[in-house]
Amino acid sequence: MKAILHLIEHDFRNFFRYKWWLAGLISMNLADLLIMAVVYNQMLSPEIAEQIKSYFSFFAPGVTVVGLFASAFMIGREINMEVRRQIHHYMLSLPITRLELALGRLLAGGLRGMMYMTPLLLTTFLIIGFPSLPQLFIILGALFLLATGISGVSIATAVSITSFEKFITARGLIYYVLFFCSSIFYPLSLIQTLGQEGIMPQPLVVLAELNPLSNGADLIRAFLLGNPAFTFDMIRNLVVFSAIFVTAATIAYMKIIERK
Amino acid sequence: MKKTRKLLLVIERDLRRFIQFKFLIILRTIWFAAQVAFFGLIASRMVVPELADIYFEFYVAGVVIMMLYSASVFIGYDIFEEAEHGVFEYLLSLPVSRKELVLGRSIGGGIRSFILVGPIIAITLFIIGLANPLNLLVALSALFLFAFGVSGMSITIAVTLKSGDRFDIFMGALSAFIIRLSTTMYPQAFVQDANQAYAAFSQFNPVTYASDLFRWGTGIERYLTMSPMPLAPIIGIVIFFFIFTFVGVTFYEKRLEGGGWQ
Repeated sequence: MKAILHLIEHDFRNFFRYKWWLAGLISMNLADLLIMAVVYNQMLSPEIAEQIKSYFSFFAPGVTVVGLFASAFMIGREINMEVRRQIHHYMLSLPITRLELALGRLLAGGLRGMMYMTPLLLTTFLIIGFPSLPQLFIILGALFLLATGISGVSIATAVSITSFEKFITARGLIYYVLFFCSSIFYPLSLIQTLGQEGIMPQPLVVLAELNPLSNGADLIRAFLLGNPAFTFDMIRNLVVFSAIFVTAATIAYMKIIERK
Repeated sequence: MKKTRKLLLVIERDLRRFIQFKFLIILRTIWFAAQVAFFGLIASRMVVPELADIYFEFYVAGVVIMMLYSASVFIGYDIFEEAEHGVFEYLLSLPVSRKELVLGRSIGGGIRSFILVGPIIAITLFIIGLANPLNLLVALSALFLFAFGVSGMSITIAVTLKSGDRFDIFMGALSAFIIRLSTTMYPQAFVQDANQAYAAFSQFNPVTYASDLFRWGTGIERYLTMSPMPLAPIIGIVIFFFIFTFVGVTFYEKRLEGGGWQ
């Protein structure tokens, strides 16, 4: 446990070295919330306005999840750099087991995401309202699962693709598909309607429904806005997502760092 | 003639370098596809009925301008990479004047962003359709100036800050706000309804001029308050181009000398 804590500390120290990147991400998130969401508020159709009340309130949980995703995904960039520059040899020389090493990096990635997301979540609470204590624990637990799962996706991608350019391209593909094919920017019902009309291919509709970012954002909305209704499927999807990618990333990380 | 040749050599070098960034081109293409196929399509179902039937085309045209802007800004990052690797000192030692160097890079940056966005414009025209080829020609000419202006702005900011970190954060924040406080994603009338201060900024934003001109060129004019010949946006873009390409080049010529890159 102590070894894992050391690794988390190491990754947190690295995280604060990226202060410029973090400032850029914060300004992007704030611009989305304070400008884009405010203007879209004026553009909502009566049916959607009835469903989500205000786009600003609807989007605040979405931007929280976007921030969580981007910051939790950052661990992959560092690990990809370590693999390319062979810094992982130094990591292997430390008196830490491979499993501890993998779990420590995974947890650090997730916790960094949680830390970055906290001010955004607090802003969301200030805008929409505060949840009850049990709801708050469920939200934090679900977001931690989401953050750890994202950290897992990021690490699994980073160790599978050693070329930096290819990693950046893969990251872009994952970002855009998960961001836009989700309920971050628009209600899931709109994607489902497009699917029923045959405009959106059915696999993409299923992806949007199972997308962990949709589940994370909708879970916060369920408790704060009451729409969509809370279902245990949201938690189940996040647990499955997190379990798959934590396992995959742990195995991949342990195997890749030992490769000659 | 000799000066023109030197200028062309600087432009050619930047174009050759750009081909090396194939992953950037792939990434931007994926971004465009995601914006159009997901956001454009789904958001058009979310907006008020009077905007719903045209919003998809409106948004696609806006995405083209976002892409043109971000591709034109890229030249600044290129300069930082060169400064980091000591290539900048080599460039300064060449028998090319500072003016030719910055002007050439500004034009090269503009042309290469057009090379990137060219196929995307073709796809967009296929989606939106083309009402008046002459209007499109006028709009594309203005967009050329816009791309040169943005490249010039990126170079000017890069040589002013002389710090990769500061440039990164400044351009990130500037891009985030300049894009959102423009009509790339929404018509000016809705920005006006949302916030007067946003509307005031959006009205005099070069990105708004570029978006409105491109929409005018493709025939999506319903949500634009433009006369048959959109003089104000054209003048706005020409001023923007002159400020950052010529005044900026002259003013920051001296900043290229010496060290100080962090």
